[in-house]
Amino acid sequence: MSQESLDGWFDGEDGESDDTDAPADGNGGTGEFPRRCLSFTVRGPWGHFRRVEGNIVKQTYRIIPRTTVAGLLAAVLGIGRDEYYGLFAPDTSAVAIEPVRELRTLNMPMNTLSTANESMQSLNSRGKLSMKLPDPTKPRQQHNYEVLVEPAYRIDVALADDARYRELRSHLEAGTSHYVPSLGLSEHLAQLDYHGEFAIEPRTNDDTVSVDSAVPNAVDSVIPEPETRCQVEESPAFMAADAGGRTTRSFTAYAYNPDTGPLSVRGISAATVDGRTVVFV
Amino acid sequence: MLSPDEFDDAYDDDELRSELPDSPIASLRDLQYLYGKLYTLATAGGGDYAPYLTPDAAGDLVDTDDSLIVVRVDLSGDEPQLADDEQGAIKVTRYSADLVSKVAHSKYPAARGIDHSVTHQAGRNSDPEKLARYAKERLTKWATDGVVQNAADDHEDGSLVNALADLGEDEDVPDTIEDAVTRALDGESATALLTVQVKTEPDGEYRWPGEVDVFQAAMRARKLSKLVSKGQATESAGDAVDIVTGEATRTVGTSEDPLNYYLGKQLEKFPGLDVDEAWRTHPLSEDAAVTVMNAEPFVEACTYRTFGAKVYSLPYFFGTPTPADARELYQLLYLAVDAEDDSRVTSIERAYQREDWTVDENRLRFYVSAVMPHQMSRYDVFGETLNALLQYPSAVAVAHAETQQTEAFRGSDDRSAAFPTVDWPVFGSNTGALLGEITSGWYFGQTFPEGDDDTDASADDPRIEALVNVLSGTPISVSLLLDAYVTRILDEASHDDVDGFPSLRVSSQFAQLCALASAEGNFLTADGEQASITESPSYELRIMDEPGPEALTTDGGFAGEQKLEAFIEGTPALNNDQRCGVFLLGTLVGAVGNYQEWHEDRSTTLVDQFPVKSITTSRIKKVTQDAIEKTLTYTRQEKTRQGRNYPGTKFDYIVDRLRDRVLNPDPDDWTLEKTDLRFYYALGVTYGMNDYSPSSDESTESTEEN
Repeated sequence: MSQESLDGWFDGEDGESDDTDAPADGNGGTGEFPRRCLSFTVRGPWGHFRRVEGNIVKQTYRIIPRTTVAGLLAAVLGIGRDEYYGLFAPDTSAVAIEPVRELRTLNMPMNTLSTANESMQSLNSRGKLSMKLPDPTKPRQQHNYEVLVEPAYRIDVALADDARYRELRSHLEAGTSHYVPSLGLSEHLAQLDYHGEFAIEPRTNDDTVSVDSAVPNAVDSVIPEPETRCQVEESPAFMAADAGGRTTRSFTAYAYNPDTGPLSVRGISAATVDGRTVVFV
Repeated sequence: MLSPDEFDDAYDDDELRSELPDSPIASLRDLQYLYGKLYTLATAGGGDYAPYLTPDAAGDLVDTDDSLIVVRVDLSGDEPQLADDEQGAIKVTRYSADLVSKVAHSKYPAARGIDHSVTHQAGRNSDPEKLARYAKERLTKWATDGVVQNAADDHEDGSLVNALADLGEDEDVPDTIEDAVTRALDGESATALLTVQVKTEPDGEYRWPGEVDVFQAAMRARKLSKLVSKGQATESAGDAVDIVTGEATRTVGTSEDPLNYYLGKQLEKFPGLDVDEAWRTHPLSEDAAVTVMNAEPFVEACTYRTFGAKVYSLPYFFGTPTPADARELYQLLYLAVDAEDDSRVTSIERAYQREDWTVDENRLRFYVSAVMPHQMSRYDVFGETLNALLQYPSAVAVAHAETQQTEAFRGSDDRSAAFPTVDWPVFGSNTGALLGEITSGWYFGQTFPEGDDDTDASADDPRIEALVNVLSGTPISVSLLLDAYVTRILDEASHDDVDGFPSLRVSSQFAQLCALASAEGNFLTADGEQASITESPSYELRIMDEPGPEALTTDGGFAGEQKLEAFIEGTPALNNDQRCGVFLLGTLVGAVGNYQEWHEDRSTTLVDQFPVKSITTSRIKKVTQDAIEKTLTYTRQEKTRQGRNYPGTKFDYIVDRLRDRVLNPDPDDWTLEKTDLRFYYALGVTYGMNDYSPSSDESTESTEEN
């Protein structure tokens, strides 16, 4: 894919850091900002973003993981699996996520098929392309999925790849997408409401800022306030393709207010987008 | 395990800082890693091999007779041989505390197979033959194990391992070992660890496994091999980023965690349904994986059972752990491990009870998870939060205790309390005890319906939901509470063992509702007409044993009327006319029922005639008519029978208010939820049944009768 020079993309003084694997750690973000971003709200009746610590249990992240946002936008753009990680890499993209509806979950028992080896059927097992599927004639087991109820997130996204950025903008403007967007699982369909394109204005280095978005990689900088609930969770942020498939290249710990509303954070590189204060990663 | 004081002495702040994670606790794995680190520091100490050792596994053998059987091997000559000095090939001794680190035991938890270390733990009271076999297997089985052999190949002292294996192949050696063990034990059974000592220099000492690096390296390799090959997986490892440390390194896919959230069996979550690819979705470095596994003793110590579910309640400090945090946390965990098995104290209570508390309570958090085990490897999490705070349940406990001191639950000289108060734990006003009731789940178990399956919780069990909500400060919806309350009331009405109206239950439910509404924080949420239920009631405090000014209120008015007026005014939920109407209807039914029972000696009263389940908007008018009719009947009866002269009718202070509320609007147009109506009806019945004048006997029941 084609990428523009980073000079036009970041407002920073020295261009971008050399570290391509991980985002700048610590106080959130690189301190440098792209000039503009696209802003939209993704929402749906249900969502489920499986936490990586569990496969027996099916718990969900509260904040849509950055990797899921990347996959969602790749679906809009019609890019295949394992082909979009570069587009959303740390030095070529910036994403801020703000929960805009109270984060609420409930337990939803679902009937699932066993994926134990003895319950799997091989299709075309001797052919060049073969695959295994759970045997649909087997009885179902009921498992409990933790699902988000009416999740909604305001997403601000900037891409260094100008062609892709424009393509994404026209999709969002027109309300179109190549694949059907969903919130985690394919059955949890998502709706995207486009708000427009906004300038990213870096905040001057205030001592304390009131941040509207979830705050990435700055848990220790959050100022606890008795009236404001502050929760934390760590989810995958960046992926990379390799010979065998894909691996997560870094995780991000988000601090967030489950009731929506801002968190006070000390000494962080924030930005103003559409009158809101957000932190990109 | 080191005591908290010993722990403080053993590690200075710099040493702790170097061992602790340098990123905030933001996931269950982070937390388990921290626990595992603390456990390792407290047991095996620091060093490269410490996380792999299990010094506590044979803790009960320490300083017992015949608890260590040592095969002594001389590797200093050309050929390996058993020791032939005066001590002989086998030494049976006491497993003393100073030998724990030298023996370097690494237990493999499964019943099958051999321990990771050359040191092996035999079963309890093994007979001499069995012990002799285990002793031989140090050479014939451990030293020849494929993983051990590979580790030896990569180690400069690998020849030591090979020498053990060679010695084991000598036909005479196993027999010699067997004879020597049997002789040394004098034919007795023993509970023991079995290990080897080797001498590598002609004039050197016999060294323990903990002093021989290659034995440790082989132990480590054996333990690590279990992280990549288990079940269907053969080699689930690859280069990725460790979830815990964030470092790019070799990661393993089939490691366990002490909560068993992640098992190799669930192919569904692996790329290509291939368990060998498990490391891609769940990458843990080898050291992190082992450290996470080491968290188990601490994790298990912080569990309790509620409604058939296993509840984990794991304390930690918000943010990146500091040495000071680690010391405080270690104290809490040590106390939990040290507690008696049958103690029902949850870790939240234990933290609350700490008198020498010096930490910022805003930073003390708990990972809470209610897990329902169906089978060993199939279970569900019913409720979970990484963000439980000590303040949340204690705020509810304080509010509940205060609620119990108000005039709603404490009577005056003139009049009973609005609701019955007896010495029933849910009515307790001891904040410490209440905290335990809240954190253990009992608080909701007493007011919510019991599970379908006896008392076991189900996936959508409101008891678990409410428990986790309170612990994490998440507001509970009022409609959930009212549904649960009414279901419990109806369950009890249809239960043969429960006699009469469950006024104690209703009273405790209402106390809970008041406590949640008035607790500092935000524990209730509601929309529309139920919003007023979330508002804090404003009942006066009534301190018993201290005659207060409130005793002077008798200015000729009727205490029962004043009490009702005060209660309605103090209850924001009763600002709603429909809710107040149905409450007053219940009050009248309760009061008339009470009268029927005590004055008329009737076994079936209005309370039985109009049970909670009969209350619907369409029946309210009918019930109201019948109840008012009864008051007229009894007024007339008293007049003719006792010649009493009433200014009005019996219970007119209720009836007059009821008329105002029920007629406008017409109940047919009422919009309240059915459970809302039914709960406040039940509350009214409880009020009416409990409304009496404690100071007067029957002849001077109240002013209305004079």
